[in-house]
Amino acid sequence: MNKIIIILVFGVMVLAQLFVPGNMIYQQEAVLTEGTAYKFKTRPIDPTDPLRGKYIFLDYQMNFVAANNDSISYGDTIYVYIENDENGFAVATKASKTPLDTEQDFIVTTATNSYDDSVHFNLPFNVFYMEESKAYEAEVYVREANRDADLENCYGLVYIKGDKAVLNDVIVNDISIKDYVLQERLD
Amino acid sequence: MKSKIANDLDELLTANVINQEVKENIMQYYLHKKDAQPNRLFAIFGVLGSLLVGLGIILILAHNWDDFPRSVKTIWAFVPLVIGQMFVGYTLLKNRKPAWKETAATFLFFGIGASISLVSQVYNIKGEMSSFLLTWIVLAIPLIYLMKSYAVTLLHLLFATIYACNLGYFNSDIPWDYVLLILAVLPVYLGRLKTMPKANTTVILHWLFPLSVLISLGNFISGNDSLGFVLYILLFSIFYNIGKLSYFKNASLRGNGYLILGSVGTIITLLITSFSWVWDEFHFSNYTTQDYAITIVLVIIVVGLIANMFRASTLKEFNLFQFAGLIFTGIYISNATLVGLSPLLINLLIIALGIIAIVIGAKRNKYSILNYGLVIITALITCRFFDTNISFIVRGLLFMVIGAGFFGANYFMYRKQSQLQSQLKLKEDE
Repeated sequence: MNKIIIILVFGVMVLAQLFVPGNMIYQQEAVLTEGTAYKFKTRPIDPTDPLRGKYIFLDYQMNFVAANNDSISYGDTIYVYIENDENGFAVATKASKTPLDTEQDFIVTTATNSYDDSVHFNLPFNVFYMEESKAYEAEVYVREANRDADLENCYGLVYIKGDKAVLNDVIVNDISIKDYVLQERLD
Repeated sequence: MKSKIANDLDELLTANVINQEVKENIMQYYLHKKDAQPNRLFAIFGVLGSLLVGLGIILILAHNWDDFPRSVKTIWAFVPLVIGQMFVGYTLLKNRKPAWKETAATFLFFGIGASISLVSQVYNIKGEMSSFLLTWIVLAIPLIYLMKSYAVTLLHLLFATIYACNLGYFNSDIPWDYVLLILAVLPVYLGRLKTMPKANTTVILHWLFPLSVLISLGNFISGNDSLGFVLYILLFSIFYNIGKLSYFKNASLRGNGYLILGSVGTIITLLITSFSWVWDEFHFSNYTTQDYAITIVLVIIVVGLIANMFRASTLKEFNLFQFAGLIFTGIYISNATLVGLSPLLINLLIIALGIIAIVIGAKRNKYSILNYGLVIITALITCRFFDTNISFIVRGLLFMVIGAGFFGANYFMYRKQSQLQSQLKLKEDE
């Protein structure tokens, strides 16, 4: 191969390889800096990803919305519109198969079920990566706190901008779950 | 320490088979050959080292270091990638030896994966495993061509297969991108067929390419599982006919993955469908357009391969194995009109294949093919052992007959070979 072509192809390859993770970072940062923060009540469960390590899977309380929409069925991509309730936690107000003409923030997800009066779904930002030693403990401590009625709150702090949502942290009793695990270890 | 060749040469010299001059010439030839060869061992250890270091980096990053702030972790995400790129750039511009190129390319391959997975981890991007794998594989494709990296070609095939299985078997989507991924490395494979047909590296590809396609085919069956048997047997027919191309004429059996996979796969599929209850479970409806399209494409490829061999006059003797896929497809299509005769026809087909293998083995004096034919017939009889409506006496007699067949056929071959050898010896004496 001609040396100039080799250098050109090499250059394009290097740029493409840098662009993919770079673009991922740019998009996530844009949501974190410019998006609106919402709190989603949740419970953690701990699984493992072979390449990305340990994470907690978040089982959100918000998993359906009352809707009188027969056209939504299993597997459909849906727009779930949200707002804050009087306690500052996110609640779903409506769901639609197409974007609605409104300023309200929304989450793009997939319908898991649809009944006459409600549409069920799983929130897409349900994975939170943690240091490998903390993931399992996080699940155990939160479960125990809940059993002992010590759990004041447990929620995912999510930033939303347009159709993008970024899970920034998981908060347990007003501190990050990472610090909560450390605190519980000391106790 | 003396090499094996040197020892052998000493032995030949002592036995007066060669003289000192011939010994020296042979030694010089091997010494020269050794110098001209790229340092294979260095390449293998280099690739292995890169592979382990790369995987190690991914695992260390998977620890999810809480002590570092997000910005530091983000920078870390690029470190293995940039080191890999610099390494690749250096070996490419300085045109270092293939061993260097293989090592650098393998390291960068894992650098790409490490970088994407760490960013996903830092920002809690859930992402599907299949899309992660696809991005990784696509970003690494240029390495195969730029670095002429064999190791990355193998990794590409492996990861493309994992991608297809992840998308198809676990998510029930059709991995069409897999076809493009395979096509992306096909020029490398075809190039090797021309430039280094005898190399072990090429022989490995003769196994890995069909194996990858074989594992991934199941992901393309959508509407009707019964059709899977047709698709698989057609694929095995394609493999078998590829293995029969003139290119593989002088290849050893070990070096012809297509022929072995095609032949063994055909027999296994036929044995499964030789049970009548399998045909009772078949559904001959609910086919999708995609099912029809894939079946037709496979049939066209089989017919094309056979027609090409016929045109090139390489189809000298009739070999039923080459047509088994088409015959099975014919039986499958006309099942409704065959009123329950399909399993019987499949049994007859297997017997015919077994006999043909025995005949070919006997003609070519090859114990392996002869015994393969006997194994086919034994396997068929063993399968019929499970069909309870055949009397024990008949089954017992069948086994005795086939056992006697094993002895008889091998003894016949032994006698034939002994005769040939004695004839040869007589000629030499004359």
